[in-house]
Amino acid sequence: MIEVAGLKKRFKLTKDHKKNKVDDIDPREDKDYFHSVRDVSFRCAEGEVLGLLGPNGAGKTTTLRMISTALKPDEGSITIDGNDIVKKPLLGRKSIGFLSGSTGLYGRLTVKENIEYFAKLHGMKKSDIASRCDELFTLLDMHKFIDKRAENLSTGMKQKANIARAVVHRPKVVVLDEPTTGLDIMTTQTVIEFIKGLKAQGTPVIFSTHHLDEVALLCDRVAVINEGVSCFDGTVEEFKQTGNSEELNQAFMNILTEKHNV
Amino acid sequence: MFEVYKKELKELLRDKKTLMFVVLLPVLIFPIIFAVMAFIGTQAALEADQKVNTYVIINGEYAPEFTDKVFYHKSFELYKGSKTFNTIEELKAGVTAGDIDMGIYLPSNAEDTLDSGEQSKWEVVFNDAKSINFLFDRVKELAQEYSDVLQAEKLKSFGIEESSHKAILNPIEVVKVDTADKRENLGEKIGAYLPYLLIPLVLMGATYPAIDLGAGEKERGTLETLLLTPITRTELVLGKFITLLTTSIASTAITVVSMGCWVAVALAFADLDFIKTAFSTLAVTDLLMIFVLLLPLAAIFSSLALAISIYARTFKEAQNYLAPLNMGVFFPIIISIMPNMELTAKTAFIPVTNVALAIKDIIKGTVDYTFVGLIFLATALIAGALLAFCVKWFNREDVLFR
Repeated sequence: MIEVAGLKKRFKLTKDHKKNKVDDIDPREDKDYFHSVRDVSFRCAEGEVLGLLGPNGAGKTTTLRMISTALKPDEGSITIDGNDIVKKPLLGRKSIGFLSGSTGLYGRLTVKENIEYFAKLHGMKKSDIASRCDELFTLLDMHKFIDKRAENLSTGMKQKANIARAVVHRPKVVVLDEPTTGLDIMTTQTVIEFIKGLKAQGTPVIFSTHHLDEVALLCDRVAVINEGVSCFDGTVEEFKQTGNSEELNQAFMNILTEKHNV
Repeated sequence: MFEVYKKELKELLRDKKTLMFVVLLPVLIFPIIFAVMAFIGTQAALEADQKVNTYVIINGEYAPEFTDKVFYHKSFELYKGSKTFNTIEELKAGVTAGDIDMGIYLPSNAEDTLDSGEQSKWEVVFNDAKSINFLFDRVKELAQEYSDVLQAEKLKSFGIEESSHKAILNPIEVVKVDTADKRENLGEKIGAYLPYLLIPLVLMGATYPAIDLGAGEKERGTLETLLLTPITRTELVLGKFITLLTTSIASTAITVVSMGCWVAVALAFADLDFIKTAFSTLAVTDLLMIFVLLLPLAAIFSSLALAISIYARTFKEAQNYLAPLNMGVFFPIIISIMPNMELTAKTAFIPVTNVALAIKDIIKGTVDYTFVGLIFLATALIAGALLAFCVKWFNREDVLFR
């Protein structure tokens, strides 16, 4: 179980940003700081998939980066099975598998070398690495290209390798930041099947997306963030009810509009 | 940390650009550059030596012996053109127009002036900007020979014995008694310039891979994944730092070995006694000591390059930030060759300058090992501080996620 409560994160504005500031409308910006995440809370239990929704710039990526321990929250807590990973980031890194659209691979290493490298950094034993790699390569249908250098892979192959890299250490929680963006239908399907597989294993999965059809297909819960603040956290059914629509797109729009008007 | 080191090294060894900068450049390019420079230099000197210059002497009949000396000199050929030259102005015009390379103007009373106890003033017209100033030296030499003859004749006419001429003309002779041995002399000459080659190479061996290990990771999107593994930032920095230290040292070692090989090759094919003598004074232990001194310097450069590289957002930005460092490294080396700059307890604490001074002293054979110890202490302190700074930067979100 992962629980996020009252997360806040602000970034100091650069001189250039202050100079090129167009308007003062954005409520997240004050004189010196941009308050990217102002108050975000949600939870995701074993065997659940949580879809993190929000318009561009809502604070989804910052939230996920805080969960992954890449960024430290200014306030709030993130607990995995009762352990606060804000206070114990190394424990968090062992417990979380993270994948975003911008994460890359080492181009001059082969796929296998890439995955093995991250497994070693996670402190896995040699024999365990071999069996885990084999398991993932079969699961993601990667055997054909594991000895190819990462720089020579197609986008789909790269994303498969990235997924394997993210979960090689058998994380307790998997966090995916727009994992299907820019992928073809076949690879998207592989990612979806993989998330389903994680769910079946009882691993909590948090993934941000703009594709509500994926939410319908995969998610048990939905959390919506707008302008750095949580707008909604509940089951998919509750999401439809709150959004006053059976259509997820419409429900999402209604929730955003309602919150905005409030 | 060791896993990071192994992986970084493996990746760098598969990078053609890094191999070019760290291995190929020190092995091939530098000796090639030196060979080309030596060839061009030798050719230019040979050409200058073999070139025959046309000349004109005005009033040459008043100093016939000198005129004959110039006429029979292998580097001079009398002008056979149709133009006539009678004045200094005409000689100048002739040189400017390219009709002649040189004109010598003798006063019409060249020999008589000496009889009347006056000095005779001869003028040599040539273009000094054309790098043919050896022309003037050659004429001066011939004039001196002629002058010596006249001088001897004059003294003889005064009834002074030839054996006394020297004592009259040069009553005092100052003789230099040098306490510096051959090695010390060589150290002063070569030792001052060796750091110009070695120190920038140590830096180059660290900077290019540093860009890949810092800004390159950011640009490829691999840094974030690396930061999410359960290794501490200190381990991460140390892994990367040791990789850079390895490449930097490897680059230096390859250069030194490569240069040694090329010198050996040159000696095998040419009879270069000076180089033989020069290198025979250096022991393997001296070379090892130079190598050891470069280690802490490599540590400073590696940590500095890594800190700069990790701050940069992109590969290109890192290159821009590191460019001043590549130029700036020459400044402390220049300080080391300034007059009266010696390795002392004070200068041992000036980074880079201290190593340059120590290299010079090692080659001279006059190094004080107490100061070498101080250099190690100073450079280790600086490298440690820079490393701590690197670790701090690897913990700063505004640096990692700029």
